[in-house]
Amino acid sequence: MESASQVSCLECVRPPGRLFCDLPVEALKDFDFLKSVNRYARGTTLFREGHPAHNVFVLCNGRVRLSVCSESGRRLTLRIAGPGEVLGMSACLSGSAHEITAELLDNAQVAMIKRRDLLHFLHEHREACLHVVSLLSQDLHIAYDRVRSVGLGRSRRSRVLRPH
Amino acid sequence: MLSPYGLDIIESCLTCKTRSERLFCDLPAAALQAFEAIKYATAYPKGAVLFVEGQAPRGIFVLCKGRVKLSICATDGKTLIVKIAEPGEVLGLSASVSGKPYELTAETIDPCQVNFVKRDDFLRFLKEHSEACFKVAEQLSEKYNTACHEVRSLGLSHSAGEKLAKLLLEWSSRNGEASKQEPHVKMALTHEEIAQMIGTSRETVTRLFGDLKKRQIVQTKGSTLVIRNKAALKLIASNN
Repeated sequence: MESASQVSCLECVRPPGRLFCDLPVEALKDFDFLKSVNRYARGTTLFREGHPAHNVFVLCNGRVRLSVCSESGRRLTLRIAGPGEVLGMSACLSGSAHEITAELLDNAQVAMIKRRDLLHFLHEHREACLHVVSLLSQDLHIAYDRVRSVGLGRSRRSRVLRPH
Repeated sequence: MLSPYGLDIIESCLTCKTRSERLFCDLPAAALQAFEAIKYATAYPKGAVLFVEGQAPRGIFVLCKGRVKLSICATDGKTLIVKIAEPGEVLGLSASVSGKPYELTAETIDPCQVNFVKRDDFLRFLKEHSEACFKVAEQLSEKYNTACHEVRSLGLSHSAGEKLAKLLLEWSSRNGEASKQEPHVKMALTHEEIAQMIGTSRETVTRLFGDLKKRQIVQTKGSTLVIRNKAALKLIASNN
């Protein structure tokens, strides 16, 4: 891990559509104060399934592979997360261990916030909490689609695209 | 009020005695009052469909009593049960928040009391009550964890036997049975439904249970399954 020069979210020129980052100024200021930013090399594991969730990660750039693993070490990719995505949120909110492993596919800059700070932040900023609810809903849709494709051998998308 | 389905309907959340034990329902007084004003208390018989996969989201369903089967279905009719929802769970959450179609089908497997809230009312409620918003985030997180667990079980298990062993161990870890040498599991599902939970056929489930009984790993007593050899079941679950 290489420590980055502190990059401020307030000065970040981000493309539109980054739901979590697109916060009101007051919330963004608070988040900026609570977070730390690091640069990680490709191949770094941000968190591993089964390990307790201490932090939430916001991917500033780069890509992350999210996967699940069997006891025998076989790995199944859930999806590839891209810039702007929040990782490790569900485990932090439910207080359980990480259900998935997150491994960087590129060299990347990642903002990190401690679990207790995040919980406090979400209680303080309703707007941020609503964003988190929307993000989790999207994640859940993707996860159910993955359940469908793994369990029934097809995805909703592939069904739609199949010619009649 | 006793409904035709034998349910003791709780009309008001404000007087509900089980509220404090349930993650979503345990709201501050102001939020609870607001929720009370937008919810409709309804009762359903066993086998009622609350919503169907692919349907536009009408709103959320808070399960007060009874259990609900959540499943996904392929066009050829093959069904996969993702979860059996228990009282206190909020159903249809992610679809109602995102506005995307319901991704699951919800069907009651007991007579149920369900509190329904229209989508627009629910979204307004979340904006106005941050505590409720936080509880919804917690519920979504748990659902996400369950979905990941399901992907792991379906995608990385080698055999139907391994999946069935994992499911039985998961059930045996509930209701204070986890620490017992021979945990008891109340079998509330048919072999067909168990098959739909692990993505196999009814015939395979019946054969696997027969094999487990023959090897004295499990034993049935009426509708209760006794796990007699937990170590052997764990060995099957770990594919050894």
